[in-house]
Amino acid sequence: MSEAPKPLDGISIIDVSGTVGTAYCAKLFADHGATVINVEPPGGHPTRQLAPFIANASHPEASAMHAWLSTNKSSVVLDLQQLEAQRALQDQISSAQLLLMETGEKACTGHPCFDPDQLRQTNKDLVVMSINWFGSDGPYRDYVGSDATVQSLAGMIRGIGPVEGPPLLPTGYQAQIVGGLTAFVGAMTQVLAQELGNKAGLTWLETSILESNLCFTEVGAVATHKLDRLPPRMGVNRFPPTYPLGIFPCRDGWLGVTALTPSQWQAFCALLGMDEEVRNPDYATAQGRLQDSRRIDRIIADKVRDRSAEELFHRGQAMRVPLAPVPTMEQLFDVDQYVERGAFGQVVPPQGQAFQAPTTPFRLFTTPSHPNGRVSALGADNKTLLSTHPEVSP
Amino acid sequence: MSRVDLLAGIRIVDLSMGWAGPLATRHLADMGAEILKVESCQRADWWRGWETSQAWVDDDMAEKAVPFNTVNRNKLDITLDLTREEGVDLLKRLVAQADAVIENFSGGVLPKLGLDYGVLKAVNPELIMVSMPAFGSTGAWKDYRAYGSTVEQASGLPHLHGRSEDPPVMLHVAYGDPVAGVNGAAALLIALRHKKRTGQGQYIDLSQPQCLFPLGAHGIIEQSVTGEAPARLGNRHASFAPHGVFPCTVGPGTGGQAPGEDQWISIQVFNEAQWQALQRLAAPALDDFGDTADRLANVDALESALSAWTASHNREALMQLLQQEGVPAGAVRGANELVHDRHLQSRRFWQTLDRAFVGPMPHPSVAYREGAAPYPLQAPAPTLGQHNQQILTDLLGLGTSELHQLAEQGVIGEKPIIQG
Repeated sequence: MSEAPKPLDGISIIDVSGTVGTAYCAKLFADHGATVINVEPPGGHPTRQLAPFIANASHPEASAMHAWLSTNKSSVVLDLQQLEAQRALQDQISSAQLLLMETGEKACTGHPCFDPDQLRQTNKDLVVMSINWFGSDGPYRDYVGSDATVQSLAGMIRGIGPVEGPPLLPTGYQAQIVGGLTAFVGAMTQVLAQELGNKAGLTWLETSILESNLCFTEVGAVATHKLDRLPPRMGVNRFPPTYPLGIFPCRDGWLGVTALTPSQWQAFCALLGMDEEVRNPDYATAQGRLQDSRRIDRIIADKVRDRSAEELFHRGQAMRVPLAPVPTMEQLFDVDQYVERGAFGQVVPPQGQAFQAPTTPFRLFTTPSHPNGRVSALGADNKTLLSTHPEVSP
Repeated sequence: MSRVDLLAGIRIVDLSMGWAGPLATRHLADMGAEILKVESCQRADWWRGWETSQAWVDDDMAEKAVPFNTVNRNKLDITLDLTREEGVDLLKRLVAQADAVIENFSGGVLPKLGLDYGVLKAVNPELIMVSMPAFGSTGAWKDYRAYGSTVEQASGLPHLHGRSEDPPVMLHVAYGDPVAGVNGAAALLIALRHKKRTGQGQYIDLSQPQCLFPLGAHGIIEQSVTGEAPARLGNRHASFAPHGVFPCTVGPGTGGQAPGEDQWISIQVFNEAQWQALQRLAAPALDDFGDTADRLANVDALESALSAWTASHNREALMQLLQQEGVPAGAVRGANELVHDRHLQSRRFWQTLDRAFVGPMPHPSVAYREGAAPYPLQAPAPTLGQHNQQILTDLLGLGTSELHQLAEQGVIGEKPIIQG
């Protein structure tokens, strides 16, 4: 049987920065058939420093996060302080469609490898995508970024957590993943535009991770920009205007509840036997229910405590109420829906045990992605990819 | 300002509603693709309003909803009653001239309307179709319904957030929606590229909880690698300290916003240089604390000392002070401050478009740009059925009398109809 066609076959990408943002952007290309080369400094890309780590593996191959981000990619090591390494990189860039990096265009002027005029001479139709925290312009351009810094400034955390504060931070690398995903859309648009004949010449794009994460808050920002102050934070899992909304303990796990429309509220009350509440005219709207949320929360908690989350989920969905189980990390791998859809796949790192990680969230039926799989060790591809530059191979 | 035409020549029929699907097509609309948004008077996009009444219709509230107006700019809007044969036929004629269709109905809705992929592919063999019902279009949950909140819950992500004493903690009223939307745009672009090269369309199945798995990858992978989920530490970090959100004094917000009592700053220290800078700025408040191991071992006392220091500072001034010395710090903004944020203002991130029934309205630019300026936005969100005549006449060649007949039959229109 012949292998399914790869939709991004023929696109060649070089990632010289190896941040979570550039790596996730490149991962989406790689999983769909593009050729991605991680050009790493001798110590490896920054993603190699990231937790979680693989048992019985040592740096630079110990980061499981790096491994997941690096499947379907090659790795070469180039010390760009060296002239020969710069020439080797230039050769790679000459045949690439996309160069991913953190630094923006202005800051690259005069750089021995990334000067815009030099890049234009090397590859006149190259697309460069810089992915960085705040962009190259504006008062925050030199700020030190982090996921939490961006999430704070994007208005994401103000409403999360207890009334008295402090607001709670998301964990992990979420802001950077969103930045990388957004940059993929920007870069892919450019690549497609060139192939459509709508664009030619070197294009230098920049994605701000802060602005990418405003996708979560832009609607609220527009809706409230004329207000002097916002209503106070309402507590854990309380986000106006939707109510009821929350996560409640059941005898076999956690049940996620959302009921927004009048019909959902009525069906939800029928499901739990909340006869008095469904008749209460004050509870006819989400805003009305929100005013009495503490009382309604207690009633819901009492009603579901001794029941099965799994059963309530299916019964609720049959009544068109958007309920959900809230699986733990351990349970997630065994949820039938995700198992059936192949939501997790095996990553095989150069050292240590293989592990499970998320696959591509969308499935193209004719040209499916090839997520996860083997990971190249640091510099493993020097010999094959830099054969014309033996002086830089280890 | 010049028009963005990167995706000129691409036409997409957009059946999606709410946030996720329309955000996917907004990305392509902003880059010059032609998006034909299909609603009906009987079933308008629910993001125009979900607690509707005749008064809501009479007050034109369907045209004033910020959520709808934010995610539907740069699109054309046509109303077609898809429960009627005439509406279905017209939709098929549009699909015949399109590159792609996108939809996020609950599973089962399109087959009931006689508009599933098999039917539409017969009309247009090169068609791409993106289906993004909440849980995807395959699997036991394919017909289940969800909001962005349900999606976050079902992704397991809430188990990675909050303190050990909390229930699983959600991050947002609809965290799943925008992430699914951007993924939808990504999937569509990949398929368009394949179509451009081969002439081959295809079906795309997107699962919204799976779109959140990469955001929780650190927890999912840790579970797989170690056999245990990450501990829920609130704002703390297992390897770094301080790492959290700390109180600030009551003071003016950004852009002249009124003072509030809920003033916070996030501060994280990831290396010794950052720690020494923080220690120096806060001196002598943090003088009792040593290296990372010492700080992690005494994190309660460390946070108390740091909180006492930050509480005497204005968050804006403190953010600047810390950032000047290389310490990651961010003022905790409210949504109402974002349009006024000096950085975003300086970058012209917010663009103003004049919208019927609303007036001037700020719009976020796309987060990627060429050069210093954002891509210019062209047109505000369409009113219901605003482009009925343009689309039906110019694209499908209908005459005036046919348009009148469709309007009389209620197949097209420009006002929502409240059904009993």
